[in-house]
Amino acid sequence: MRIRFPHFLRFSSLAFRYSLFFLFAILLIFFIAFAYSYGYSSILLLEGAKKDANILTQQTISRFENVLQPAELVPQTLVDAIENPKISFDDILRISREFVIQDSVVFGSCLAFEPYSYDKDAYWYAPYIYEKGNKVTTRILGSTNYDYYKMDWYRLPKLLNKPVWTEPYYDKGGGDTLMCTYSTPFYQIVDGKKKFAGVLTMDISLAAFERIVKEIKVFKSGYGFLVSRNGMIITSPKMVMENKNILDVARAGRGMEAIKAIKSMLDGKTGFASMDGLDSKKHPSFIAYAPVAKTGWSFGILFPADELLDDLFQFFRKILWIFIYSLLALLLTTILITRRLTRPIIRLVEATKKIGHGDFHAKLPLRKSKDEIAQLTNAFSVMQDELSNYIVSLQETTMAKEKIESELNVAHTIQMGMLPRGFNTPANWELYATLDPAKAVGGDLYDFFYLDADHLCIAIGDVAGKGVPASLFMMVTRTLLRAKAIAGIPIHEVMQSINHELCQDNPNQMFVTFFAGIVYLKTGEMEFCNAGHNYPYIVGPGGDIRQVKAKGGLPLGVFETVNYSSEKLCFKPREILVLTTDGITDALNASNDFFGEAKLASSLAAMANKNTKGLTDSLIIELKRFSLGTEQADDITILALQYKNPSETNEKPMQTVQITHKNQLSELENIVINLEMLSEKWNIPLKIVMELNLVLEELFTNVVFYAFEDKNEHLIHMSFMLIDAHQLQIRIEDDGKPFNLLEKKVTDIFDKPLEERQIGGLGIHFVREMMNSVDYQRADHKNIVTLTKNF
Amino acid sequence: MEINEKKTGQCVIIGITGRLDTTNYSILEKKLMELIESHHDKILVECSNMDYVSSSGLRILLMALKKITMVKGKFVLCGLQENIREIFEISGFTNIFEIYSTQDEALKVF
Repeated sequence: MRIRFPHFLRFSSLAFRYSLFFLFAILLIFFIAFAYSYGYSSILLLEGAKKDANILTQQTISRFENVLQPAELVPQTLVDAIENPKISFDDILRISREFVIQDSVVFGSCLAFEPYSYDKDAYWYAPYIYEKGNKVTTRILGSTNYDYYKMDWYRLPKLLNKPVWTEPYYDKGGGDTLMCTYSTPFYQIVDGKKKFAGVLTMDISLAAFERIVKEIKVFKSGYGFLVSRNGMIITSPKMVMENKNILDVARAGRGMEAIKAIKSMLDGKTGFASMDGLDSKKHPSFIAYAPVAKTGWSFGILFPADELLDDLFQFFRKILWIFIYSLLALLLTTILITRRLTRPIIRLVEATKKIGHGDFHAKLPLRKSKDEIAQLTNAFSVMQDELSNYIVSLQETTMAKEKIESELNVAHTIQMGMLPRGFNTPANWELYATLDPAKAVGGDLYDFFYLDADHLCIAIGDVAGKGVPASLFMMVTRTLLRAKAIAGIPIHEVMQSINHELCQDNPNQMFVTFFAGIVYLKTGEMEFCNAGHNYPYIVGPGGDIRQVKAKGGLPLGVFETVNYSSEKLCFKPREILVLTTDGITDALNASNDFFGEAKLASSLAAMANKNTKGLTDSLIIELKRFSLGTEQADDITILALQYKNPSETNEKPMQTVQITHKNQLSELENIVINLEMLSEKWNIPLKIVMELNLVLEELFTNVVFYAFEDKNEHLIHMSFMLIDAHQLQIRIEDDGKPFNLLEKKVTDIFDKPLEERQIGGLGIHFVREMMNSVDYQRADHKNIVTLTKNF
Repeated sequence: MEINEKKTGQCVIIGITGRLDTTNYSILEKKLMELIESHHDKILVECSNMDYVSSSGLRILLMALKKITMVKGKFVLCGLQENIREIFEISGFTNIFEIYSTQDEALKVF
């Protein structure tokens, strides 16, 4: 499940983002300050700790020296006394005894003589005065078990000729305790020469140092320790005592710093260093050390680093918590404030969303104040009203436009439907025409139709202007032509008559340039009249081309009183007459050049070998290529008529005629014309023609009304074949839904009273009655009806 | 197709000239329905100039006959050309319609 946060906590919200931004900024500043002060504080702290440690070291060393001082001073005095012959050894021993009793540190003193030097019979002589319990006892040392001549405390001062502090040792057979001894050599004058006579020792208990060292406490677990010159650990409360040498301790698993520091310490230097701890925990620690000058010992203190910084750390942890709490409070406050500031904007956004979804009456939040948000709200309110008005007017405009467009589409369909197509010409003529309108409804027109079996009327025209008015004017012209053009009437009279009609009621002063001709199919002669239209071209078979510069009068509809004149020309075999409108010559290319007459002429010359359809299509393609990337400005209309060699027709008498009709009732007219032509050609009796007419009309209207469920244009093909002089076969094809007229039951036609007679259903009855055979096939998604008729 | 109309007493004579087919039958239909709705119940259709009739045309004539028969009126044809008469025979209409060869002969029955 997805958790849905309130808006102000979502990342997208302004409040949240601003708060977060501030938060990060404050965090950054804080952490820089924090890190700096922490770092600086710890440096200061370390400096302080170093100084304190050094002071502590020096103080402790002073205390050691205070303790050691009597043990060094008193023997010196006594030794000097020994050299004086007036003072006896007993006096010396007595003073020593007093000293041992009085001094808290010195617990024993020995006066050890060279062999036989005190008593000529005694190899060893060393009276030893020492404290044991609270008693002071005197023993004479020296035996085979305790040969003091081999011991350090005797050997070293003798060797070095100066007083020596021994390493700590357990004096077995002597003091029987852990101790250190200060041995001072004494001399006797024999034969005027100073001669080594023995050693005076002061034994000191290490307990005194232990006490001093134990008193030292640095932080929680820091401690002091005292080592001898060789690194022997004299006293330490914590050090691992298994390794009695401190260097061995350092070497046992501590880092290089530790070894280095300890070596420096044993060399009698003073220092401060960071190193691993010497106790078993090995925590990172600091060490401060200095030599105890008299003895050659060294004293050090060691404390864990984290304890030094512990207070600091605690302090900063408190600061951090205080900071986090304040930061949370700040964040909350920022969010609340920003939310308060942005709430009206959010309300405005919600209202705007509603408007966006089409609710133009959504209420905008009211603002009492006059701040920026209130101004924005007002601006929105104005926009809302404007938008609402705009939408209303847009809807009205769009509806009106749609209406006009749908009407224009209807007009276009009517106009294009009026243009004849699939025209049947005698075999020695070929005709093809096309019209490519610039807008939905154009002002161009072409037409061709038979006046009688031998006379073909062709026409092309261009109404000034475009759109619906031009189209209507064009339809009127075309209708007038069809009505006025009658076999036997010269074409200029037809034009005169059309002009008269057009001028009768022409408030918009529209006019049409018009070329019309009547072709006598048998001879190839053409009588024509040019009412201000583009000159036609005649393309010869070898590519020779000429323009028919005919001037028959002004365009139709200009002046009622204009006289029109006609001219004649005669087709030579294989010549093509090409009629065009100025949509071709006036076509522009992307660089605003006209297609022009010259290019038209040269293009046509190059197409001389093509048939009429090929020529027309090629010209259209060339034109489209020329004007690529521009919008077609004017209608483009071409009509091409070719007269083939007359002998061709004689060789092959026409036995088959194919005609294609559109699924429109207006085509019935063409069916009639075609049948009339066939009757003349093939000598079909009028009665038979009428029967054929009736049957074809029935079948054709059936197809038009019932075969197609869509409203698209479909083609219906009819082919007529003369099987012999008295038998005709007709084949009708359509791509409509299947319908087998042979399956249709024709009953109830006869012998029923009037009331029971059905209206309709007669057509199929006629077909069966009047034809000699009727056949139906369904193939290739087409209905094919084949009829034969004998005559 | 052209239609002309003329009155002789109570009788209306409708003359049809040319072709009566699918493209124009509605003109005749409209004319006849107008007459019937304005209570003309005696109608004679003069067919001597009618060159052609398709089943659509026949349908209109049959419809008119039915309507007028219902109001006890009279609907009569006359002057059928030979071709047209054959079509009437094929369709069996000669049994239903009263058909006279001339207009004068037809007028007598009213």
